[in-house]
Amino acid sequence: MDHSVHRKTLRAPAGRRGSTTLEEGGTITDGREVIVRAQNLGFAYRPDRFAVRGLNFELYRGQVFGLLGRNGAGKTTTVRLLTTLLTPTEGGGTLFGRDLRSCGRAERARIGVVLQSESLDFVTVEENLRLYAFLWGVGRETAKARAEEMLELFELGHNRKQKPWALSGGERRRFQVARELMHDMELLFLDEPTVGLDALTRSRILDYLAGRARAGLSIVFTTHILHEADRLCQRIGVMHEGHLLTVGSPAEIKRAYSGARTVEAEFERPLTPEESEELQAILAQGGEGLVLVEGRGALLVFRAHNAESLVAGVVRWAGVRGIAVERVGVSESTLEDAFVHLVSGPPPSGVPLTLEEP
Amino acid sequence: MTLPPVLRLVGRNFRASIDPITLLVMFGQPAFLIVILGTMFNQLIPSVGTSGSYIAFLVPGMIASQMITGAVLAGRIFWLDRRWSMVEQIFSGPFLRAEYLAALLLTTLLFSLVGVGIMALVALPLAGLPAISGVELLVILATIALGATFFGGLLIALGGVIRSANLYFTIQSLLQYFLIFVSTVYYPVTATTPTVLKVVVYANPLTYAANTVRDAFTHSFGASDLTAGAILGGLALVTFSLAILSFRHLSFGPVQ
Repeated sequence: MDHSVHRKTLRAPAGRRGSTTLEEGGTITDGREVIVRAQNLGFAYRPDRFAVRGLNFELYRGQVFGLLGRNGAGKTTTVRLLTTLLTPTEGGGTLFGRDLRSCGRAERARIGVVLQSESLDFVTVEENLRLYAFLWGVGRETAKARAEEMLELFELGHNRKQKPWALSGGERRRFQVARELMHDMELLFLDEPTVGLDALTRSRILDYLAGRARAGLSIVFTTHILHEADRLCQRIGVMHEGHLLTVGSPAEIKRAYSGARTVEAEFERPLTPEESEELQAILAQGGEGLVLVEGRGALLVFRAHNAESLVAGVVRWAGVRGIAVERVGVSESTLEDAFVHLVSGPPPSGVPLTLEEP
Repeated sequence: MTLPPVLRLVGRNFRASIDPITLLVMFGQPAFLIVILGTMFNQLIPSVGTSGSYIAFLVPGMIASQMITGAVLAGRIFWLDRRWSMVEQIFSGPFLRAEYLAALLLTTLLFSLVGVGIMALVALPLAGLPAISGVELLVILATIALGATFFGGLLIALGGVIRSANLYFTIQSLLQYFLIFVSTVYYPVTATTPTVLKVVVYANPLTYAANTVRDAFTHSFGASDLTAGAILGGLALVTFSLAILSFRHLSFGPVQ
């Protein structure tokens, strides 16, 4: 797939127009507070081996930003860079308005991180929660109350006396998220938090996180489960082989990259052979990547990249011909379609592009 | 009131990282050895140099060796923190790497002192050593502190570099036993000791610590102990620097 064909409608990164620095360290861009900013951010384990390169994106307060990508795309390295575990070897960025290279305790005290790998202490689930709160300086009474809240919220009450490694995979993942929520934060990094969780639990956790985001918590969320990202994230960055292919809202990404969509149009009566040929000629003229599935009788089924504009053409044609259109349906494009479309092509070169803000 | 970060980390090290059975074995084993070795060898060895009885010779050495027990426990905490991603978790929180390192070394020191306390309770009545002065107690504690920093720094530096649990624990066991047995903890260097062994024993920092602690107990602390302390301090500085270096280049991700 030639990505350049589909990127022609996009614009270059928004730049830093209208940015002002806040006294507390955050920055305001276009009236919104920027919590995280990556500017050509890159990291190489060796001089010739970049794990990520040329990352450009922003996360605003209260926003959920999803990082999607195949295994090894660079998501975890990006999280490690933004949580200051790694120092950028190229480009840079800011966390709460402060250069990533000079961020320290003060900035990290404002973030929470659920790592991709399991992290635990050798005490029971309940003690783990309270001990983690102790590490973060949360008061004893607050920690006790919050531990109860988290045990209930993440359905770990019956596991409270178990050691974390005795839990099932899904329970351990729930435990990881619950433990991180024991302390206050403004920004939460979640590196594949829902791996191994059943659908109901996933849904509950996503609802909870969405609620926290509405209350002002900013979230960076990496996942392989694309419909989760579609549901939770306001903005998404798709990574591939260490590069950020695109950044935009789920709707924009689906619109821009989901490829061909299927249209079904049903007319009040079967079309004559001449009518069918005329309609197919119109579609062939304006259709991008058109594939006609069925074009006889009363039903017309086709796939095309510009499905919506062709539907308008079909309806217009039917109006001129005096044929009533009983039903028109355009298949819903999914983030998965867009993702597969994006990452199945060759790795990108040059500056990643940013979709228009919603 | 919120405790300073280093103390929170030390508290966490004590509460979470080591299970009670491990602690019992690690601290109980030397005490058990003193009772068994001391009693059995005391019958065979009539006297050892200025110490008098063998048990009076052994106990100060075993007390000095507690710095290794403390260091092993701290190294184990660090390794398990790496294995279970707690290092990554803590470093992404409101802590400095220096604080984590300081907390590990403080944990080494505290574990060592706990070991010394247990040794003193169990062994001193058996050994019949004379009472020591406040200065001699300070000398013992300072020696333990320097030795704990040396061995703790060494094991932490190794733990930061080695990515395999098998390799780390094998090296740690080898070091632990080599350093303890090729030192003056269990037996003195005499005129009949082979030269090669003498060289190795005197190159072993634990020998300096054991001799200094022993001299403090026998009221024979002197200039050679000051030199030993200075050497131990210098070596502690080296391993501490190595630990800092390994922390700076610490890689994250799975270790086996």
